[in-house]
Amino acid sequence: MSTRKISLTATLFLFIYILQEAFITQLRIAGGGFSLFLIFTLLWAALSSPNMGALTGFAAGLLIDLSQSTAGVFGQWTLVLILIGFGISYFGLGYENVRLNPFTITFLVTISVFIARVVYLLLSLLLGKDLGTFSSIATSLLIGLLWSAAVVPIAMPAVARAFDFINDSRSRL
Amino acid sequence: MARGGENRGRLLLIILIITSLFLITLDLRGVSLITGLRTGTQSALTPVQSLGATILSPVRNFFIDVIYLGRTRSEMEQLRTENGELLSQLRERRSIDAQLEQLQGALDLAGKAEFKVLSARVISQGATTSFTQTITIDVGSRNGIKPNMTVINSYGLIGVVKTVYTNSALITLASDPSFRIGVRVADSQQIGILSGQGTSKGVLQLLDNQSTINVGDILLARGSVNNQPFVPGVPVGEVTSVDNAAGAVTQTADVRFFANFLSLGIVSVVLAAPDVDPRDSLVPPKPLPTPIPTVTVFVTPSESPSPDSIGSE
Repeated sequence: MSTRKISLTATLFLFIYILQEAFITQLRIAGGGFSLFLIFTLLWAALSSPNMGALTGFAAGLLIDLSQSTAGVFGQWTLVLILIGFGISYFGLGYENVRLNPFTITFLVTISVFIARVVYLLLSLLLGKDLGTFSSIATSLLIGLLWSAAVVPIAMPAVARAFDFINDSRSRL
Repeated sequence: MARGGENRGRLLLIILIITSLFLITLDLRGVSLITGLRTGTQSALTPVQSLGATILSPVRNFFIDVIYLGRTRSEMEQLRTENGELLSQLRERRSIDAQLEQLQGALDLAGKAEFKVLSARVISQGATTSFTQTITIDVGSRNGIKPNMTVINSYGLIGVVKTVYTNSALITLASDPSFRIGVRVADSQQIGILSGQGTSKGVLQLLDNQSTINVGDILLARGSVNNQPFVPGVPVGEVTSVDNAAGAVTQTADVRFFANFLSLGIVSVVLAAPDVDPRDSLVPPKPLPTPIPTVTVFVTPSESPSPDSIGSE
């Protein structure tokens, strides 16, 4: 991977991270809203190779863990996103029609955001954290799923273009 | 060749997973490097968050208005009659007025209890992605904020300072699932533990099996040793329903928090509290019933016509 690719990718991820932390968290969107950074990371991973997906998940997870609003254990999101980043890119790579179809990508990323949150939840339970009532957790997961389904198709063209520009590739999304 | 690439891929995945597990272990063991990293990130982000709070204030108000649509509709009808220039001025002023109102309310409450407080602006709402309820305020260690200080607003308890950075602080809201506070019932002085549930309601568990609690009872913070993390007497919430399960050792009840955690703009951090417990002096006054005008109508029946008079006509 060239220096140009690394620096451009890192800058883009940092930009989205700051956008999420400084602006999107201010909006107080209904039901807790969405994490643009998480969606962006998983979209990026879905377009990458499995190794790059895992690396992307690792870097993005570290950034989420560094966020002051993440009350969990440091490294928890890193572990979750390594697994989900690898999984989503591995799944996408195995089925070419998944990667080339905007609908399947939307479905894949939306479900991945949901699964990432469920895995995070399970890890929190294993680490002995209080998570609230079943109804509040279920509501949060459901609303998060709906927001992801709404945001992923909007973000996808921009992410795909940025990915193509940085990786000198050409996707059909 | 392909096998070699596959092996390298697996090795990379294993290395990454081990690294993340290593980080988790370090954090659980309380290694200061991790805390330092988070502090550094927050210090770098605070100016951007403050800028974001200023820029997005009208947008945020819009989202809050959408949530409280009924109230907004009546306000909109009132505003529609005014011209465009006044409208924009009003919108700007509404944001400032709301903050001022919240500030005044918090200062009133603090003044009544003789708390020494520092007011702060909420610059970020925590990420619910991690199933936590937090906010970030724009004051930090530079302003004398320390961990475990009580945070209040005009309605009562908001939460407690969890982490302090140079120019900002992270507050755990009372609605956070990990939040626990010792409370007492105003008047009856029964005590219990109130737990956050991740919603606008909490669950109270009484400590004494002889005590009883009623719907409408007001809960106040019991206070902690040296007033940290909780100063005594701060209104917390009101009992909305009581669980009288037959087999339960003690009574439990649902409690609605006085504070609305969705529309926090200005909060106050209690820096110091007097040695004297304010007892029940901070209990919010009950709303006065609006007198309903009654109209008494006396109906005097007219004399019914006699059969003779009908016949004569």
